[in-house]
Amino acid sequence: MVPVTFFLALGAVLFCIGLYGVLTRRHLVVVLVCIELMLNSVNINLVAFSSIGPFANITGQVFSLFIFTVAAAEAAVGLAILIALYRNRESIDVIKQDIMRW
Amino acid sequence: MTPQLIFFLILAVMAIACAVLVISLKKISHRIIAMAFCFFAIAGLYFLLRAEFIGIVQIIVYVGALSILFIFGMMMTDHRNVTFVPDRKRGHKILSFLGVGTLLGLMLYGISTLDFPVNEAQGGTGEEIGIQLYGHYVIAVQGVGILLLAALVGAVVLARKEAE
Repeated sequence: MVPVTFFLALGAVLFCIGLYGVLTRRHLVVVLVCIELMLNSVNINLVAFSSIGPFANITGQVFSLFIFTVAAAEAAVGLAILIALYRNRESIDVIKQDIMRW
Repeated sequence: MTPQLIFFLILAVMAIACAVLVISLKKISHRIIAMAFCFFAIAGLYFLLRAEFIGIVQIIVYVGALSILFIFGMMMTDHRNVTFVPDRKRGHKILSFLGVGTLLGLMLYGISTLDFPVNEAQGGTGEEIGIQLYGHYVIAVQGVGILLLAALVGAVVLARKEAE
């Protein structure tokens, strides 16, 4: 069977790709997509520990289900905010959304 | 090379390649397709870990629902130009690349020092997950239900046109 560290390394790589995308991309939809990538890399870690970890247990899969629901709620509210922003400010450039900036 | 390792390598390379495509492709719709394929590869990894229920939920929620949601979000906004002018300062990209690379290096170093025994995959059926969900975590399930309801109402209120 595959060692659990391989899954941890894959999760770390995906998390860092998502983080880089959030920090550098300027399209708001792409930023949301990258946040979903980061949440998914956390799920990989949870399911890997739940299945082949040293103390394999079903609890990790239960927690990953909770993360699924939180990610779905976050995406729905995020896209609603995005549509409202686009209607009011005519742009989905991250840099232009600075009305609450100090 | 066991068959599991070969399948793991194929799926991991597919997931990482699609994740890189998400932040490097030109068109926004292509990026969302790449995201769907990345989530599909991750669902394959869950099947490899014998977590079939989570894999099916991943395909339904992420590959099915979230991709369509993002495509609708893309269609309702300006999707023709992905690159904006003027571009961000070069220092910003280099600095974030260095920061993220340092984080990745530290995490990979930490992972490489771990020493876990190699176990056989023991899957979780939907029945076990359901018993845990409605036994030990029943209050959390209620909380998540309220969260979903609040997100539904909030999304409708936010995306609706403001009433005069």
